[in-house]
Amino acid sequence: MVLEGVYKVRSIDEVVELLEKYRENAKIIAGGTDIVIALRNEKITPKVLIDISSIDELKSIKDEGEFIKIGAGVTFTKIVESSLFQKNLWGLYKACRLVGSPQIRNKGTIGGNIANGSPAADSIPPLICLGSTITLASKNGKRKVLLEEYYKDKANYGMKEDELLVSIDFKKPTENRVLSFAKLGLRKALAISRISIATFLELDKKGQVTTIRVASGSLGKYPMRELEVEEFLCGRKLNERTIDEAIKVVQQSMDERLKGRSTLPYKRVAVESMLRESIGDGIKFLDGVRA
Amino acid sequence: MKKRGKGIGISFYGTGYGNGFPDVSKAKLRLHDNGKIGIYVGATEVGQGAKTALLQIGAEILNLSTENLLFISEDTSLMPDSGTAAASRQTYNTGNAIKIACENFKDKLIEISKEELGLNSTHGLMVEKGEIYLEFFLQKRISFKELVNKYGDGTIEAEGEFIAQTVEMDPETGQGAPYWPYTFNACGVELEVDTLTGRVEILNVRFAQDVGRAVNPRLVEGQMDGGFAMALGYALFEDLNLVKGQIKSNKFSRYLIPTAMDMIDVEKILIEDPEPTAPYGAKGIGEPVMIPVAPAILNAIYDATGVRILELPVTPERLRKAMDTKKNEGNFNMELNALKR
Repeated sequence: MVLEGVYKVRSIDEVVELLEKYRENAKIIAGGTDIVIALRNEKITPKVLIDISSIDELKSIKDEGEFIKIGAGVTFTKIVESSLFQKNLWGLYKACRLVGSPQIRNKGTIGGNIANGSPAADSIPPLICLGSTITLASKNGKRKVLLEEYYKDKANYGMKEDELLVSIDFKKPTENRVLSFAKLGLRKALAISRISIATFLELDKKGQVTTIRVASGSLGKYPMRELEVEEFLCGRKLNERTIDEAIKVVQQSMDERLKGRSTLPYKRVAVESMLRESIGDGIKFLDGVRA
Repeated sequence: MKKRGKGIGISFYGTGYGNGFPDVSKAKLRLHDNGKIGIYVGATEVGQGAKTALLQIGAEILNLSTENLLFISEDTSLMPDSGTAAASRQTYNTGNAIKIACENFKDKLIEISKEELGLNSTHGLMVEKGEIYLEFFLQKRISFKELVNKYGDGTIEAEGEFIAQTVEMDPETGQGAPYWPYTFNACGVELEVDTLTGRVEILNVRFAQDVGRAVNPRLVEGQMDGGFAMALGYALFEDLNLVKGQIKSNKFSRYLIPTAMDMIDVEKILIEDPEPTAPYGAKGIGEPVMIPVAPAILNAIYDATGVRILELPVTPERLRKAMDTKKNEGNFNMELNALKR
């Protein structure tokens, strides 16, 4: 199919109108860092492109008190430069900072990272850990979907062909909770993650885990929660022995999930480093808060 | 856990084609309008700095600033063949050809000036700063401009040819002296291995090279940085990933080369021991840089982990696997020794 045209739109209403009209023949383009490559390789052959990069509403980060709302068209650079993702949201900052190169971070958007659906997408594990919800808009209105479900249950929670991803929002973690992130790439920039781990952690005064969420990237068909290790760690005191055992739990989950994959032998040993780094950074931060 | 190690690699590498292969560079000089001198060589600038270094050599011999020179290259209809921009040979080989052409050109100017000035002999005639003059009677002088006005643009010319000395190796024994001259270098690397992920981080590098003479030290350092980056890719990143003869790393998202973030500041040491057969002593300095880097890195990995890597590149996966194999072998030997006892 030959591309017939590109719509440069200014509002969400225009987008949903066009999506309604063209449905599977339309593709949304924001930063274009994934989609332009797919177009060139003819992996996708849409009739029209809808360029949403000029919709102001999609490009802002809003501090709504209890919540933070990130527009789908917000670039990684904007997140990295925002003061909102420091301190206990450092994990999201770090993930966005490790995306591609400055050029890609300047153009690539967080919405694109979600919509493209790569298992290696850097920003997703931290967002899953935060319990983020995404807002999808269509001609028929808006609906909210838990990001975790969006990947897990495509049939019910995936994006429909007439829908636009509008925003991502999550509850701001309280001071005693921290989000951290670790990524294994094969070089220091422009590296697709081989493994990524995000953790969301809360400890009580005795160093016991009161809240834990662990999400991984590149360890399955899509970014996901690592529920077995969460269950194992919850309520335990976080010391060397617990972490050693937690690593074994993650490895067991991987052995089942990635059985027969040629990448498994390496990933199952390298995951140790990522889990240690992510949990370690979290503990270090919380120690600082309590001190 | 992170383990640190240090390693050294050394190499020597011949300038030019070598092994008896005819290695010929030609250069031509012409006098042009306004008294400018054109240097015509078929030396291609590929980023190595040929247009800078060769122009410098010409300027030095002609005793002129580079503004008074024209450098004409990369158009085969205009210039003689100076051989390929390969084998780290242009500065040495074409530099020599330019040097010879310049000497011939100076002789020609002196010969013509002798006639123009009505002198008996060429003795005592000097070429300097766009003029030819008699050393002990300075009123006897004529400028390049005057000569070109009289003889016409591009008519006064001279050529130079340099044929490198190379000896074919004995095909039976493989013995001989195939190259001349040789560039010598040594590379020291300090690095850190993450024993969990198998990732290698280069911490410090010192690289020393005997360049004969650094015609342009900044360019030589640039070649050393570039050569190191290329070798770093060769040692740690670049993997074609051949599976049954098919290249699996068929795009740059899979075929990894080092980014600026992976490169480090190399501490560069230039050693100048002028080579007698070279123009001002300068030897080939480009390719040799790449040679000792991978050995130095592999030696440092061995120093850090005790593992000898025999296959490049040392990807994190490969290194981790090699460390595991060594650990298993160690356990096996221990068990074996226990049994023997």
